[in-house]
Amino acid sequence: MAPLTIALPKGRLAEAGLACLARAGYALPANGDIGRRLVLDSPDGRLRLVMAKPSDVPVFVEYGAADLGIAGLDVVREAERDLYEPARLPFGHCRLVLAGRQGREERPLRLERSPKVATKFPHLTEAFFRRRGLAPEIIVMSGSVELAPQIGLADLIVDLVQTGTTLRENGLTELHVVLESQAVLVANRASYRLRAVEVREFIDAVVAAG
Amino acid sequence: MPVTSPAGSSTASVGPSFAADRPLPEGVRDLLFADAAAVRGMAAALRALWGTWSYRELILPTFEYADTLATDVGAQIDAELYRFFDRQGRTLALRPDMTLPTARVVGTRLYDQPMPLRLCYVGSVFRHERPRAGRQHEFIQAGIELIGAPGHAADAEAIALAVASLRALGLPEFRITIGHVGFFHGLSAALALPDRLAGWLRLAVDRRSEAELADLLGQAGTVAATARRALLQLPRLTGPDAVLKEAEELCLNGAMASAVADLQSLSGLLEAYGVAGAVNYDLAEVRDLDYYTGITFEGFAPGLGVSLISGGRYDELIGHFGPEQPAVGWALTLDQVLVARELQGVRQPEPVPDVLLSVTGHPEGLSWASQARARGLRVEVDLAGLKPEDLWRSAQTRGILRAVWPDGADRLLVREPEGERQAASDAWEEFATWLR
Repeated sequence: MAPLTIALPKGRLAEAGLACLARAGYALPANGDIGRRLVLDSPDGRLRLVMAKPSDVPVFVEYGAADLGIAGLDVVREAERDLYEPARLPFGHCRLVLAGRQGREERPLRLERSPKVATKFPHLTEAFFRRRGLAPEIIVMSGSVELAPQIGLADLIVDLVQTGTTLRENGLTELHVVLESQAVLVANRASYRLRAVEVREFIDAVVAAG
Repeated sequence: MPVTSPAGSSTASVGPSFAADRPLPEGVRDLLFADAAAVRGMAAALRALWGTWSYRELILPTFEYADTLATDVGAQIDAELYRFFDRQGRTLALRPDMTLPTARVVGTRLYDQPMPLRLCYVGSVFRHERPRAGRQHEFIQAGIELIGAPGHAADAEAIALAVASLRALGLPEFRITIGHVGFFHGLSAALALPDRLAGWLRLAVDRRSEAELADLLGQAGTVAATARRALLQLPRLTGPDAVLKEAEELCLNGAMASAVADLQSLSGLLEAYGVAGAVNYDLAEVRDLDYYTGITFEGFAPGLGVSLISGGRYDELIGHFGPEQPAVGWALTLDQVLVARELQGVRQPEPVPDVLLSVTGHPEGLSWASQARARGLRVEVDLAGLKPEDLWRSAQTRGILRAVWPDGADRLLVREPEGERQAASDAWEEFATWLR
């Protein structure tokens, strides 16, 4: 039988994701191969691992290029793809927060005119402000978002934080939590049905492994 | 062909010039040769099949009043309409599906005809959707509606015809997953969640997110243990008809029980139709929950991440346009079937002529061409006046198996891969073997 294809995010979640598969009883490719090759078959032939840029994981899975995938909830919600999310995984905890300069005038967000917000998460940011009746001006960046308020590019930022150290070091303070994130298992809608037994087995094994 | 305006000036000289860097708006595309042949061939196969099931075709208008197409039952579709104005300023819209126009026809014109009505259609529909896997803004739907018949027999016929249709389209492998909105409605009623959680409940079920369902129960306060168990099991109620047994044990009220009973009766009929092997069940199916009133289903094929057919029972739609009628139907997307077939190794060959014919200096060859075409041979006449060697080279480059030129009044020279030979120009039995 063809292996299940699993999209794994490179970077922050890669190691924990692989460890989770190992605990679930899946044999992993040799260490040397991971990180060097982008498509890896597990030695037991049950899985094919595709190492993807984190934001590509939801896309791979929606299109069925991967049957399942592991990604941060932040990335999954931002992508707005048509996916199943059968399980939350106990790693990759962080939060997507709205932050502004320390010492900025204290007043409710809803009284802002139309804040300039720098972020790598335009959809989630837009939704967060729209829900509050605000029309934000969103500045999409692809790195070092915390820089934006310091150089006058934006009033606020929406970015991921784990400990908050980076925010503090850049003179920023957390104002709101936009989303509590952690790793999630996502599944393709067609695979969930066409390969129901194997997909269910995988979900249960990964969840049981914790 | 150049178009000339009444004043006699060429239209080519007026108007803004064509933008070569942006020849098409987003969401539309051309289908060339093999793809066009595949789509037309699939439509023809469907019409032939549907005829044998006594379904009659409707040709529906491409646009209508937006109000017709944006009934509140199709609220989800409303945001995706392509709208524009007629000269009186009334809002028109391109049809976003074929079911709404069909419902209008039935409600306004066919309401007193003997029921049930078995209707079918093939045509382009238009939706301004955010980018989604495998979707253009214009795509081709083919489908059926069985109107005026309630009950399992009609549901089973619709699904059996869906399976037969996907088979007729030459799709080797696929699976249809059947659900029933009554099960989720019943479960929602049993959970009696506060309003603020109801929308979340549906989203969480749609995502099959077991973690979110657990969170939700955590926030819901007191929920009966049986309801709690049923909700947490819901994402797992997918698979062969054995899941109906599991679902039966989780039923908390009449709505849930009658949904499961419906599916069990349906399952028996699908067995009799001989299509049980092509279907699965999924009690967690909650798409278009406000539109459907009974069974719902979606079809999937390996490698194609998205569904290629969807449908269900919608007993409340026709009533918007005329007397109420129960109805069940489905539509498949030919564009998706085309991709799904290719993923399973079904290739549509490029259309290639059987014969490349030279008539240079021999106009009598044209009469041979007419007779050959009447027998179904695809004959292309060379207009470039190619010499025999060049004609054969041209044929070979294009994968045409034979080059032919007249050789006197009643003979032909035939060039084939095996070499050149003569043939009587009326050797029709032999020529018939040239048909591919």
